[in-house]
Amino acid sequence: MIYKCKEIESLLSAYLENELPAEVTADITRHLAACPRCLELKEKVEALILSLSDLQEEVPFFLKNRLFNIPEISEKKKLARTVFSPKWLAAAAGTIILFLNLSYFTNIFPPLNRTMHSLVGSIETFVVQTGGWFEQIKESKDLLLFTFFNKKSSENKADKLNAEFNANKVISKGGNNG
Amino acid sequence: MLINAYSKAVYNIALNFFADRDIAADVTQDIFLKIYNNLEKFKEEKNFTAWLFTISRNYCIDYWRKNKKYLSNSQELDEKVSLHDPTPEDDAIRESEIRELRKKIAQLEPELRVMLILRDIQDLSYQEIAGKFSIPEGTVKSRINRARLKLAQSYVRGEA
Repeated sequence: MIYKCKEIESLLSAYLENELPAEVTADITRHLAACPRCLELKEKVEALILSLSDLQEEVPFFLKNRLFNIPEISEKKKLARTVFSPKWLAAAAGTIILFLNLSYFTNIFPPLNRTMHSLVGSIETFVVQTGGWFEQIKESKDLLLFTFFNKKSSENKADKLNAEFNANKVISKGGNNG
Repeated sequence: MLINAYSKAVYNIALNFFADRDIAADVTQDIFLKIYNNLEKFKEEKNFTAWLFTISRNYCIDYWRKNKKYLSNSQELDEKVSLHDPTPEDDAIRESEIRELRKKIAQLEPELRVMLILRDIQDLSYQEIAGKFSIPEGTVKSRINRARLKLAQSYVRGEA
């Protein structure tokens, strides 16, 4: 069979790797002997395959070190992801609340029960105290507002009276002239 | 064990895919991190190397797509590669040839690039590659042939 150059190109790798039937191989060899362009291409591909096999390199030492650290990093990340996942955090919070409630309302753990009650007592005292402070602040604020607005309103009143007085004065003057 | 067995393969895929040792190192680390984070999912899979190669291939292609603009700038790529001294095994001429060849590989389409690296650099059989990516062997063969022709037409050894 006579092959065209394009067909030779598509069979070149198989030809070089001895994967073609003997008959086809013989036909291609004949074509190559008669076609300098295809022969040149065949030689180039052969040289290329040879060069490519030299491209393997050893893994650099620094990279090996980096790679050996990966399992540890990966495990830590995985553990952190598991522990701090919303599901686990919600479960942990629920357990703590349940435990605190139990120790407050029952006497399963007497020392904890006492601590909880004294803690709640301190919180109540704090709330009462802060409530008193709030009252005081509110009173001071009212007093300040009262003083300020009272002063303002008396000033306004004086201004009003002055204006009225002046207006009366002008009218009476106008009356005398008329 | 995982690192000793597969780091060279993954590193060489990345190195020859990007033609840049720094990027190859970062990408290899990312791939292994991905592998460790997904090890639990692997249990259902049959072939570990197939899974590892699929992750490596997909990660390289994704990384390349995301950074295409920067990576396809051949001038910059060339400068970055030449920053490295030749490895002890390679003399200056060999290093320059290798650099040139990697540059040419990096210009191939990502799918062709991966297939070529696995076949001609990692020395995997067509059957293995087809099995790893669940594609027909014929497709692998034609892609590799296409990649070789493209590369051979643009690269001639000794003319770098």
